[in-house]
Amino acid sequence: MEEEADIVGKAFVEHYYQLFDNERPSLSTLYQPDSMLTFEGQQILGVHDISSRLQQLPFERCRHVVSTVDTQPSAVPGSILIFVSGSLELPEEEHHLRFSQMFHLVPTAQGNLCIQNDIFRLNYG
Amino acid sequence: MDPDAVAKAFVDHYYSTFDANRAGLANLYQDNSMLTFEGQKIQGSPNIVAKLTSLPFQQCQHSVSTVDCQPSGPTGGMLVFVSGNLQLAGEQHALKFSQMFHLMPTPQGSFYVLNDIFRLNYA
Repeated sequence: MEEEADIVGKAFVEHYYQLFDNERPSLSTLYQPDSMLTFEGQQILGVHDISSRLQQLPFERCRHVVSTVDTQPSAVPGSILIFVSGSLELPEEEHHLRFSQMFHLVPTAQGNLCIQNDIFRLNYG
Repeated sequence: MDPDAVAKAFVDHYYSTFDANRAGLANLYQDNSMLTFEGQKIQGSPNIVAKLTSLPFQQCQHSVSTVDCQPSGPTGGMLVFVSGNLQLAGEQHALKFSQMFHLMPTPQGSFYVLNDIFRLNYA
């Protein structure tokens, strides 16, 4: 079960940042009405507001480079916790930003995984 | 008690126990608890405490910079995301870390750590 969570976790992380970096509006497919995002301390609830917030971030383009991915099974069967650290490159900026992010994925009625909880923090040097 | 206050109280208690008496962390974990410490996976309170008490430093001090929390779903669990500094005795520079706890309620009305993931943040 743990190995499966690792595989699913890594695949999800790749997919998430690929969408974020290339088609940010499509991130809305990964959140639901009761999803929660805390972005640099700001709490946002629900797929609509989360999607708006992410699209309004003050940069057009970015690239996430993942350094570490840790995964564990969560309380509800089929749910997974993922803890990511990495760099966020912005084209106009000389220095990369470092970040940590946590996802709690839960199974949907359709048999997919969606983001129930998402917490993002920049790591200042 | 509001969730943010619960999360902060837990974090304070966790790190002050860690810094004063690491063996005292045993009652914050149960048999089904999981810790991933710098990529190493450990399961169950006795193994987790063995790992934490065998870390290669005698004394340390955690100072917390940020605490974010969210309810994790119908089980009554709480996700807590921490960033901060870890000062080891004898080291000139503090290490930066991030840590994630998934707390689950106990019948006695407190919380235990079901999931715990710790990572140092390198520059």
